[in-house]
Amino acid sequence: MKRLLIGIGNPDRGDDAAGWEVAGLVTSWDVSRLTAGSLSLIDLWQVDDEVVIVDAMKSGAPVGTVVRIDAIAQGLPRGAFSSTHAFGPAAVVELARTMGRLPRSLMVYGIEAAHMEHGAAMSREVVASVSAVARELQDA
Amino acid sequence: MRTHQSSERQVKNMPNERREIAVDYLARVEGEGAMYLKIDGEEVTDLQFNIFEPPRFYEAFLRGRYFAEAPDITARICGICPVAYQTSAVNAMENAAGMFIGGQIRELRRLLYFGEWIESHTLHVYMLHAPDFLGYPSAIEMAADLPDAVTNALRLKKLGNSIMTIVGGREIHPVNVRVGGFYRSPTRRELQSLVEELEWSLETAEATVSLVAGFDFPDFEMDYEFVALHHPDEYAITDGRIISSSGLDIDPTQWPEYFEETHVEWSNALHANIIGGGSYYVGPMARFALNGDQLSPRAKAAAAGVGLVPGESNPFKSIIVRAVEIVHACEESLAIINGYEPPDPSFVDVEPRSVVGHGASEAPRGLLYHRYEVDEAGLIADAQIVPPTSQNQRSIEEDLRQFVKGRTHLDDETLQWQLEQAIRNYDPCISCATHFLDLTVERVQDA
Repeated sequence: MKRLLIGIGNPDRGDDAAGWEVAGLVTSWDVSRLTAGSLSLIDLWQVDDEVVIVDAMKSGAPVGTVVRIDAIAQGLPRGAFSSTHAFGPAAVVELARTMGRLPRSLMVYGIEAAHMEHGAAMSREVVASVSAVARELQDA
Repeated sequence: MRTHQSSERQVKNMPNERREIAVDYLARVEGEGAMYLKIDGEEVTDLQFNIFEPPRFYEAFLRGRYFAEAPDITARICGICPVAYQTSAVNAMENAAGMFIGGQIRELRRLLYFGEWIESHTLHVYMLHAPDFLGYPSAIEMAADLPDAVTNALRLKKLGNSIMTIVGGREIHPVNVRVGGFYRSPTRRELQSLVEELEWSLETAEATVSLVAGFDFPDFEMDYEFVALHHPDEYAITDGRIISSSGLDIDPTQWPEYFEETHVEWSNALHANIIGGGSYYVGPMARFALNGDQLSPRAKAAAAGVGLVPGESNPFKSIIVRAVEIVHACEESLAIINGYEPPDPSFVDVEPRSVVGHGASEAPRGLLYHRYEVDEAGLIADAQIVPPTSQNQRSIEEDLRQFVKGRTHLDDETLQWQLEQAIRNYDPCISCATHFLDLTVERVQDA
């Protein structure tokens, strides 16, 4: 059984770096980072693991908003956690649920993004939320 | 399992019927794109395959960067096929330096590339395209009915990831590739650790060929101009000459003399054409048509076993060809590992020259061409990257235009389903091409 923090995103695409950045700040969890090809996500955990996923999201909420979803208790809104690669993180979590391969606990943190252009820096609001989420997880 | 095709509903075919089918966001493709189709009776009067993912301006971004940075920068274009970008980039830079690198370094490059083929093809065959044939909205619903198939797919894909991790340093955007070779040669023991899983994968890939060959395929043939790399001694992947079904046989350095890129207003990705010759088709079907006799023995046997012969021109059967190429990739990977001698040093020094370099390789989706102009300081003065999906855009549009004929009696939902399936025949990587899917079919009734 391990405590695993998975940061998802692309460090070169503006606010899409949020998950990566959180994973880089937290030292009290095992950490993995995923860019694309999120199907690999399902291979990262075992069924008895405690897992947290941090990803940028686009839900229409104010930029920097943090949502926490207990993915064991409820499905993920597919549109919010999308990917330019056909199997996004929400689809992988639902695939794992169908196949009985979800970990023991799975919390998904979403940080509302403003822009994800190649080469852009993170928004000020997202930077602040990255710090807050990292502190929360570090102390968890 | 659900059988979408068997529940096809027909609409009354009205002589003056016009309709539009619009898909604003195409699912189960890599990246963001759309399709718009306007049908008047039996004729398609307007058709646009629209790649709207923003252009990435990678070519501009490369200008002014040191030539040795090209493989790492271009690997970022795509998370599914970074090895293709790296390989075409190093080929071009080594070509610019007047070098060709063979031996065990080339064998390692082939092994790394096979890892990418296994990963990318498995993802497409099982998770993206099979649901079309079996009538599922996605692999998630398919997994409920066919858990063993999806479990095998995940394991097969993981093997591809493992090859990329061991040879490339990590599974996404590998970091071990450099102009001239590799930063570090993997040890024999590291590669031997892949053997047991490769042997399982080889058998699973053969079973995959049988599985997908049993799908129902629409009766549809096209007369394609196939274009692929060709190597005299092997089923080309990392390098070779560019050949076509009509007899083209050129060195990659001659690409600009025979091919051109043009802009169409409805797509953010450039279209590629044969100069004076129109559209062409790159990818597994093209490779199999032109080089099928060079497949590994078990891949060749797997194809023959299901009646698949080089020259197959039903694009829906590309799913079988991809499965055959997984067999080939596994068998060849085993051969490379069994004959492996770690290259020492792991790279050859490459000195830049003020010259233009050209490189091509066979990405999972087809021919990927790079051209770089390097100055005397080794800085990139100009870059051109032509991904396979850009090259296939016109063929995709021509397939859709032909496919609709004789199927206009189908209701919009069924027609849209089949058209999306036809697009997925190409495993389009829109993220690559923009550097670019949403589907609209419009049927308008006369007042």
